[in-house]
Amino acid sequence: MKFECGDLDRALEAPELMPEAREHLKQCPACRSEYRLWSDISATGRQFHEEWESPTLWPRIRSILEAEPKLISTPSWRRQWKVWAIAAVVLVGIGSLFLSRFQQTVRTPASPDVARITGAPANRDFLTEQALRDVQRTEAAYRQSIEKLSSLAEPKLADNTSAQAANFKEKLLLIDSAISETRSNLDHNRFNVRLQTELADLYREKQQTLQELLTRDQKN
Amino acid sequence: MVWEIGLPLRFAVNLPEHPTDAELVEQCKRGNFHAFERLYELHSARMKSLAFHLVGNRADAEDTVQETFLKVYRAMRGFAGGSTLSTWIYRILINCCYDNLRKQQRLAEKPVSREQSNDPKLPLKVALERALGKLNERQRLVFLMFEVEGLKHSEIAAILEAPEGTCRSWLFEAKRELKRLLRESST
Repeated sequence: MKFECGDLDRALEAPELMPEAREHLKQCPACRSEYRLWSDISATGRQFHEEWESPTLWPRIRSILEAEPKLISTPSWRRQWKVWAIAAVVLVGIGSLFLSRFQQTVRTPASPDVARITGAPANRDFLTEQALRDVQRTEAAYRQSIEKLSSLAEPKLADNTSAQAANFKEKLLLIDSAISETRSNLDHNRFNVRLQTELADLYREKQQTLQELLTRDQKN
Repeated sequence: MVWEIGLPLRFAVNLPEHPTDAELVEQCKRGNFHAFERLYELHSARMKSLAFHLVGNRADAEDTVQETFLKVYRAMRGFAGGSTLSTWIYRILINCCYDNLRKQQRLAEKPVSREQSNDPKLPLKVALERALGKLNERQRLVFLMFEVEGLKHSEIAAILEAPEGTCRSWLFEAKRELKRLLRESST
Protein backbone atom coordinates (compact mmCIF):
# COMPACT_ATOMS: atom_id res chain seq x y z
CA MET A 1 0.00 0.00 0.00
CA LYS A 2 1.30 3.42 -0.92
CA PHE A 3 1.01 5.76 2.05
CA GLU A 4 -0.49 9.14 1.13
CA CYS A 5 -1.09 12.38 3.03
CA GLY A 6 -4.76 11.47 3.49
CA ASP A 7 -3.72 8.31 5.37
CA LEU A 8 -2.05 10.19 8.21
CA ASP A 9 -5.19 10.52 10.33
CA ARG A 10 -5.83 6.79 9.97
CA ALA A 11 -2.26 6.04 11.03
CA LEU A 12 -2.63 8.23 14.12
CA GLU A 13 -5.63 6.17 15.16
CA ALA A 14 -4.11 2.80 14.24
CA PRO A 15 -0.56 2.42 15.60
CA GLU A 16 0.15 -0.54 13.28
CA LEU A 17 0.26 1.94 10.36
CA MET A 18 2.80 4.18 12.05
CA PRO A 19 5.96 2.59 10.56
CA GLU A 20 4.70 3.43 7.06
CA ALA A 21 3.55 6.86 8.26
CA ARG A 22 7.05 7.60 9.61
CA GLU A 23 8.57 6.79 6.22
CA HIS A 24 6.10 9.17 4.62
CA LEU A 25 6.81 11.90 7.19
CA LYS A 26 10.48 11.91 6.17
CA GLN A 27 9.52 13.13 2.73
CA CYS A 28 6.40 15.24 3.41
CA PRO A 29 6.82 18.56 5.29
CA ALA A 30 3.04 19.18 5.41
CA CYS A 31 2.36 15.86 7.13
CA ARG A 32 5.38 16.42 9.38
CA SER A 33 3.84 19.66 10.56
CA GLU A 34 0.50 17.94 11.16
CA TYR A 35 2.19 15.18 13.10
CA ARG A 36 4.18 17.68 15.18
CA LEU A 37 0.99 19.52 16.09
CA TRP A 38 -0.60 16.18 17.02
CA SER A 39 2.26 15.40 19.37
CA ASP A 40 2.29 18.94 20.77
CA ILE A 41 -1.37 18.62 21.72
CA SER A 42 -0.52 15.67 23.96
CA ALA A 43 2.62 17.28 25.35
CA THR A 44 0.85 20.56 26.08
CA GLY A 45 -2.16 18.72 27.50
CA ARG A 46 0.09 17.23 30.19
CA GLN A 47 0.98 20.75 31.32
CA PHE A 48 -2.67 21.43 32.09
CA HIS A 49 -2.53 19.34 35.23
CA GLU A 50 -3.20 21.80 38.05
CA GLU A 51 -1.75 21.40 41.52
CA TRP A 52 -2.38 23.72 44.42
CA GLU A 53 -2.39 23.54 48.17
CA SER A 54 -5.77 23.24 49.84
CA PRO A 55 -4.95 23.28 53.55
CA THR A 56 -8.57 23.73 54.58
CA LEU A 57 -10.14 21.13 52.32
CA TRP A 58 -9.49 17.97 54.36
CA PRO A 59 -10.28 19.63 57.72
CA ARG A 60 -13.57 20.80 56.18
CA ILE A 61 -14.43 17.30 54.98
CA ARG A 62 -13.36 15.77 58.28
CA SER A 63 -15.41 18.16 60.40
CA ILE A 64 -18.54 17.45 58.37
CA LEU A 65 -17.97 13.72 58.60
CA GLU A 66 -17.26 13.82 62.31
CA ALA A 67 -20.56 15.55 62.83
CA GLU A 68 -22.39 12.70 61.15
CA PRO A 69 -20.57 9.48 62.06
CA LYS A 70 -23.76 7.46 62.09
CA LEU A 71 -24.26 7.92 58.38
CA ILE A 72 -21.58 5.39 57.66
CA SER A 73 -21.41 3.57 60.92
CA THR A 74 -24.96 2.43 61.25
CA PRO A 75 -25.77 -0.72 59.34
CA SER A 76 -29.39 -1.19 58.43
CA TRP A 77 -30.08 -3.78 61.13
CA ARG A 78 -28.79 -1.38 63.73
CA ARG A 79 -31.00 1.42 62.52
CA GLN A 80 -33.89 -0.56 63.95
CA TRP A 81 -32.62 0.32 67.41
CA LYS A 82 -36.09 0.45 68.91
CA VAL A 83 -36.67 -3.20 68.10
CA TRP A 84 -33.33 -4.13 69.65
CA ALA A 85 -33.97 -1.96 72.68
CA ILE A 86 -37.34 -3.60 73.29
CA ALA A 87 -35.86 -7.08 72.77
CA ALA A 88 -33.05 -6.33 75.20
CA VAL A 89 -35.43 -4.93 77.84
CA VAL A 90 -37.70 -7.99 77.56
CA LEU A 91 -34.75 -10.38 77.85
CA VAL A 92 -33.27 -8.50 80.77
CA GLY A 93 -36.67 -8.53 82.47
CA ILE A 94 -37.04 -12.27 82.00
CA GLY A 95 -33.48 -12.77 83.15
CA SER A 96 -34.00 -10.73 86.30
CA LEU A 97 -37.15 -12.69 87.12
CA PHE A 98 -35.31 -15.98 86.80
CA LEU A 99 -32.38 -14.62 88.75
CA SER A 100 -34.55 -13.54 91.69
CA ARG A 101 -36.28 -16.94 91.75
CA PHE A 102 -32.94 -18.69 91.42
CA GLN A 103 -31.43 -16.77 94.33
CA GLN A 104 -34.50 -17.23 96.51
CA THR A 105 -34.29 -20.95 95.97
CA VAL A 106 -30.57 -21.04 96.58
CA ARG A 107 -30.76 -18.99 99.78
CA THR A 108 -33.64 -21.00 101.35
CA PRO A 109 -32.27 -22.36 104.64
CA ALA A 110 -31.78 -26.06 104.70
CA SER A 111 -34.79 -27.91 106.03
CA PRO A 112 -34.87 -31.01 108.20
CA ASP A 113 -35.10 -32.92 104.88
CA VAL A 114 -31.36 -32.48 104.63
CA ALA A 115 -30.78 -34.72 107.54
CA ARG A 116 -33.10 -37.29 106.03
CA ILE A 117 -31.34 -37.26 102.66
CA THR A 118 -27.75 -36.82 103.64
CA GLY A 119 -27.85 -38.44 106.99
CA ALA A 120 -26.01 -35.38 108.31
CA PRO A 121 -27.22 -32.67 110.67
CA ALA A 122 -29.15 -29.84 108.98
CA ASN A 123 -26.63 -27.40 107.52
CA ARG A 124 -27.42 -24.08 105.80
CA ASP A 125 -24.59 -24.74 103.31
CA PHE A 126 -26.34 -27.78 101.84
CA LEU A 127 -29.46 -28.15 99.70
CA THR A 128 -32.20 -30.73 99.66
CA GLU A 129 -32.75 -32.87 96.55
CA GLN A 130 -36.01 -31.00 95.81
CA ALA A 131 -34.41 -27.58 96.31
CA LEU A 132 -31.51 -28.64 94.09
CA ARG A 133 -33.89 -29.66 91.31
CA ASP A 134 -35.56 -26.22 91.58
CA VAL A 135 -32.22 -24.51 91.51
CA GLN A 136 -31.06 -26.48 88.47
CA ARG A 137 -34.30 -25.80 86.62
CA THR A 138 -34.13 -22.09 87.37
CA GLU A 139 -30.47 -21.98 86.50
CA ALA A 140 -31.10 -23.65 83.14
CA ALA A 141 -33.83 -21.13 82.32
CA TYR A 142 -31.65 -18.26 83.46
CA ARG A 143 -28.71 -19.57 81.46
CA GLN A 144 -30.93 -19.78 78.39
CA SER A 145 -32.06 -16.17 78.76
CA ILE A 146 -28.44 -15.03 79.13
CA GLU A 147 -27.50 -17.01 76.05
CA LYS A 148 -30.16 -15.08 74.14
CA LEU A 149 -28.67 -11.87 75.42
CA SER A 150 -25.24 -13.13 74.34
CA SER A 151 -26.51 -13.84 70.86
CA LEU A 152 -27.69 -10.22 70.64
CA ALA A 153 -24.31 -8.95 71.74
CA GLU A 154 -22.27 -11.34 69.64
CA PRO A 155 -22.57 -9.57 66.26
CA LYS A 156 -21.42 -6.34 67.87
CA LEU A 157 -18.24 -7.91 69.13
CA ALA A 158 -17.51 -10.06 66.10
CA ASP A 159 -14.72 -8.67 63.95
CA ASN A 160 -14.40 -5.70 66.26
CA THR A 161 -10.73 -5.10 66.96
CA SER A 162 -11.04 -1.99 69.12
CA ALA A 163 -9.60 -1.82 72.62
CA GLN A 164 -12.99 -1.53 74.26
CA ALA A 165 -14.36 -4.48 72.36
CA ALA A 166 -11.30 -6.44 73.45
CA ASN A 167 -12.08 -5.49 77.07
CA PHE A 168 -15.63 -6.70 76.73
CA LYS A 169 -14.50 -9.92 75.07
CA GLU A 170 -11.87 -10.53 77.74
CA LYS A 171 -14.32 -9.88 80.57
CA LEU A 172 -16.93 -12.19 79.07
CA LEU A 173 -14.26 -14.84 78.52
CA LEU A 174 -13.19 -14.61 82.18
CA ILE A 175 -16.79 -14.82 83.39
CA ASP A 176 -17.45 -17.81 81.14
CA SER A 177 -14.34 -19.53 82.40
CA ALA A 178 -15.34 -18.85 86.05
CA ILE A 179 -18.85 -20.14 85.35
CA SER A 180 -17.43 -23.28 83.82
CA GLU A 181 -15.08 -23.81 86.79
CA THR A 182 -17.85 -23.25 89.33
CA ARG A 183 -20.16 -25.60 87.47
CA SER A 184 -17.43 -28.22 87.40
CA ASN A 185 -16.98 -27.83 91.20
CA LEU A 186 -20.72 -28.11 91.62
CA ASP A 187 -20.70 -31.42 89.75
CA HIS A 188 -18.64 -32.81 92.65
CA ASN A 189 -20.60 -31.01 95.34
CA ARG A 190 -24.10 -30.55 94.04
CA PHE A 191 -25.71 -29.49 97.35
CA ASN A 192 -23.26 -26.68 98.16
CA VAL A 193 -25.20 -23.43 98.66
CA ARG A 194 -22.07 -21.27 98.53
CA LEU A 195 -21.11 -22.60 95.10
CA GLN A 196 -24.68 -22.19 93.84
CA THR A 197 -24.69 -18.58 95.10
CA GLU A 198 -21.32 -17.96 93.45
CA LEU A 199 -22.70 -19.33 90.21
CA ALA A 200 -25.75 -17.07 90.49
CA ASP A 201 -23.46 -14.08 91.09
CA LEU A 202 -21.40 -14.98 88.02
CA TYR A 203 -24.52 -15.19 85.88
CA ARG A 204 -25.61 -11.82 87.21
CA GLU A 205 -22.18 -10.39 86.37
CA LYS A 206 -22.44 -11.76 82.83
CA GLN A 207 -25.93 -10.36 82.47
CA GLN A 208 -24.77 -6.91 83.62
CA THR A 209 -21.81 -6.97 81.23
CA LEU A 210 -23.98 -7.93 78.27
CA GLN A 211 -26.54 -5.34 79.30
CA GLU A 212 -23.83 -2.68 79.49
CA LEU A 213 -22.60 -3.62 76.02
CA LEU A 214 -26.09 -3.44 74.53
CA THR A 215 -26.98 -0.19 76.30
CA ARG A 216 -23.74 1.41 75.15
CA ASP A 217 -24.48 0.27 71.63
CA GLN A 218 -27.96 1.82 71.67
CA LYS A 219 -26.57 5.12 72.96
CA ASN A 220 -24.15 5.26 70.05
CA MET B 1 -17.11 -1.00 64.31
CA VAL B 2 -15.24 1.24 66.71
CA TRP B 3 -18.16 3.65 67.00
CA GLU B 4 -20.46 0.82 67.93
CA ILE B 5 -19.15 0.66 71.45
CA GLY B 6 -18.65 4.38 71.64
CA LEU B 7 -14.94 4.71 71.04
CA PRO B 8 -13.71 7.82 69.26
CA LEU B 9 -12.65 7.14 65.70
CA ARG B 10 -9.01 7.91 66.44
CA PHE B 11 -8.79 4.57 68.25
CA ALA B 12 -9.41 2.72 65.04
CA VAL B 13 -6.83 0.13 64.01
CA ASN B 14 -3.73 1.22 62.13
CA LEU B 15 -3.38 0.67 58.42
CA PRO B 16 -0.60 -1.19 56.65
CA GLU B 17 2.02 1.11 55.10
CA HIS B 18 0.75 0.53 51.57
CA PRO B 19 -2.84 -0.60 51.92
CA THR B 20 -4.56 -2.16 48.93
CA ASP B 21 -7.88 -0.80 47.67
CA ALA B 22 -9.66 -3.73 49.31
CA GLU B 23 -7.99 -3.03 52.66
CA LEU B 24 -8.88 0.64 52.43
CA VAL B 25 -12.49 -0.13 51.61
CA GLU B 26 -12.71 -2.66 54.43
CA GLN B 27 -11.24 -0.23 56.94
CA CYS B 28 -13.43 2.64 55.73
CA LYS B 29 -16.47 0.41 56.14
CA ARG B 30 -15.36 -0.28 59.70
CA GLY B 31 -15.24 3.45 60.32
CA ASN B 32 -11.45 3.77 60.29
CA PHE B 33 -11.06 7.45 59.64
CA HIS B 34 -7.34 7.12 58.91
CA ALA B 35 -8.21 4.88 55.98
CA PHE B 36 -10.53 7.52 54.62
CA GLU B 37 -7.86 10.17 55.06
CA ARG B 38 -5.42 7.93 53.14
CA LEU B 39 -7.97 7.69 50.37
CA TYR B 40 -8.11 11.47 50.30
CA GLU B 41 -4.32 11.72 50.17
CA LEU B 42 -4.12 9.23 47.32
CA HIS B 43 -6.73 10.77 45.06
CA SER B 44 -7.49 14.36 46.00
CA ALA B 45 -4.73 16.07 43.95
CA ARG B 46 -5.76 14.51 40.67
CA MET B 47 -9.43 14.90 41.52
CA LYS B 48 -8.96 18.62 42.19
CA SER B 49 -7.20 19.05 38.86
CA LEU B 50 -9.87 17.21 36.90
CA ALA B 51 -12.63 19.10 38.73
CA PHE B 52 -10.82 22.38 38.03
CA HIS B 53 -10.93 21.71 34.29
CA LEU B 54 -14.56 20.64 34.41
CA VAL B 55 -16.03 23.34 36.66
CA GLY B 56 -13.68 26.15 35.67
CA ASN B 57 -12.15 27.49 38.88
CA ARG B 58 -10.30 26.32 41.98
CA ALA B 59 -12.90 27.27 44.56
CA ASP B 60 -15.65 25.33 42.82
CA ALA B 61 -13.24 22.47 42.15
CA GLU B 62 -12.50 22.21 45.89
CA ASP B 63 -16.20 22.34 46.71
CA THR B 64 -16.83 19.57 44.20
CA VAL B 65 -14.05 17.40 45.60
CA GLN B 66 -15.41 17.97 49.09
CA GLU B 67 -18.88 16.95 47.97
CA THR B 68 -17.44 13.89 46.24
CA PHE B 69 -15.64 12.69 49.36
CA LEU B 70 -18.76 13.20 51.46
CA LYS B 71 -20.75 11.13 48.99
CA VAL B 72 -18.06 8.46 48.90
CA TYR B 73 -18.01 8.27 52.69
CA ARG B 74 -21.76 8.02 52.95
CA ALA B 75 -22.00 5.41 50.22
CA MET B 76 -18.93 3.39 51.22
CA ARG B 77 -20.97 0.74 53.02
CA GLY B 78 -22.80 0.03 49.77
CA PHE B 79 -19.60 -0.23 47.71
CA ALA B 80 -19.54 -3.85 46.62
CA GLY B 81 -16.25 -3.78 44.72
CA GLY B 82 -17.83 -4.28 41.30
CA SER B 83 -15.43 -1.66 39.99
CA THR B 84 -12.12 -0.48 41.41
CA LEU B 85 -12.26 2.06 44.18
CA SER B 86 -10.68 4.85 42.13
CA THR B 87 -13.02 4.21 39.21
CA TRP B 88 -15.98 4.49 41.52
CA ILE B 89 -14.66 7.70 43.11
CA TYR B 90 -13.97 9.34 39.73
CA ARG B 91 -17.43 8.44 38.52
CA ILE B 92 -18.91 10.20 41.55
CA LEU B 93 -16.56 13.15 41.01
CA ILE B 94 -17.60 13.60 37.39
CA ASN B 95 -21.28 13.45 38.30
CA CYS B 96 -20.70 16.03 41.04
CA CYS B 97 -18.86 18.27 38.56
CA TYR B 98 -21.71 18.17 36.08
CA ASP B 99 -24.29 18.72 38.84
CA ASN B 100 -22.36 21.76 40.06
CA LEU B 101 -21.96 23.08 36.53
CA ARG B 102 -25.69 22.80 35.96
CA LYS B 103 -26.36 24.62 39.24
CA GLN B 104 -23.91 27.38 38.36
CA GLN B 105 -25.36 27.79 34.91
CA ARG B 106 -28.87 27.95 36.32
CA LEU B 107 -27.81 30.64 38.78
CA ALA B 108 -25.86 32.67 36.27
CA GLU B 109 -28.15 31.96 33.32
CA LYS B 110 -25.09 32.09 31.12
CA PRO B 111 -22.20 29.73 30.38
CA VAL B 112 -19.73 29.43 33.20
CA SER B 113 -16.60 31.43 32.54
CA ARG B 114 -13.35 29.62 32.99
CA GLU B 115 -10.11 30.75 34.57
CA GLN B 116 -7.85 31.20 31.57
CA SER B 117 -4.11 30.86 31.61
CA ASN B 118 -2.51 34.25 31.08
CA ASP B 119 1.02 33.11 30.38
CA PRO B 120 2.01 35.06 27.23
CA LYS B 121 5.02 32.83 26.58
CA LEU B 122 2.86 29.83 25.85
CA PRO B 123 0.65 30.62 22.87
CA LEU B 124 0.00 26.96 22.11
CA LYS B 125 -1.11 26.36 25.67
CA VAL B 126 -3.49 29.31 25.52
CA ALA B 127 -4.84 28.29 22.13
CA LEU B 128 -5.23 24.70 23.24
CA GLU B 129 -7.04 25.77 26.41
CA ARG B 130 -9.49 27.76 24.32
CA ALA B 131 -9.91 24.94 21.83
CA LEU B 132 -10.53 22.52 24.67
CA GLY B 133 -13.44 24.68 25.78
CA LYS B 134 -15.01 24.18 22.35
CA LEU B 135 -14.98 20.40 22.43
CA ASN B 136 -18.13 18.53 23.29
CA GLU B 137 -18.46 17.26 26.87
CA ARG B 138 -17.46 13.68 26.16
CA GLN B 139 -14.40 14.51 24.04
CA ARG B 140 -13.19 17.06 26.58
CA LEU B 141 -13.63 14.65 29.46
CA VAL B 142 -11.71 11.84 27.73
CA PHE B 143 -8.91 14.23 26.72
CA LEU B 144 -8.66 15.60 30.27
CA MET B 145 -8.59 12.16 31.84
CA PHE B 146 -6.05 10.64 29.42
CA GLU B 147 -3.74 13.46 28.34
CA VAL B 148 -3.96 15.77 31.34
CA GLU B 149 -4.47 13.47 34.30
CA GLY B 150 -2.74 10.41 32.90
CA LEU B 151 -5.47 7.87 33.51
CA LYS B 152 -5.22 4.65 31.50
CA HIS B 153 -7.63 3.77 28.71
CA SER B 154 -8.91 0.86 30.80
CA GLU B 155 -9.58 3.17 33.76
CA ILE B 156 -11.37 5.72 31.59
CA ALA B 157 -13.47 2.98 30.06
CA ALA B 158 -14.45 1.76 33.52
CA ILE B 159 -15.27 5.28 34.74
CA LEU B 160 -17.39 6.08 31.70
CA GLU B 161 -18.80 2.56 31.58
CA ALA B 162 -17.97 2.29 27.87
CA PRO B 163 -15.85 -0.19 25.90
CA GLU B 164 -12.14 0.62 25.87
CA GLY B 165 -12.04 0.82 22.06
CA THR B 166 -14.83 3.37 22.11
CA CYS B 167 -12.94 5.51 24.63
CA ARG B 168 -9.80 5.36 22.44
CA SER B 169 -11.91 6.46 19.52
CA TRP B 170 -13.38 9.38 21.53
CA LEU B 171 -9.86 10.47 22.42
CA PHE B 172 -8.80 10.33 18.79
CA GLU B 173 -11.82 12.41 17.79
CA ALA B 174 -11.03 14.91 20.53
CA LYS B 175 -7.44 15.32 19.37
CA ARG B 176 -8.43 15.56 15.74
CA GLU B 177 -10.95 18.27 16.62
CA LEU B 178 -8.37 20.12 18.71
CA LYS B 179 -5.91 19.94 15.81
CA ARG B 180 -8.54 21.37 13.49
CA LEU B 181 -9.41 24.17 15.92
CA LEU B 182 -5.75 25.03 16.43
CA ARG B 183 -5.14 25.16 12.68
CA GLU B 184 -8.20 27.34 12.34
CA SER B 185 -7.07 29.74 15.06
CA SER B 186 -3.57 30.05 13.59
CA THR B 187 -4.82 31.16 10.17
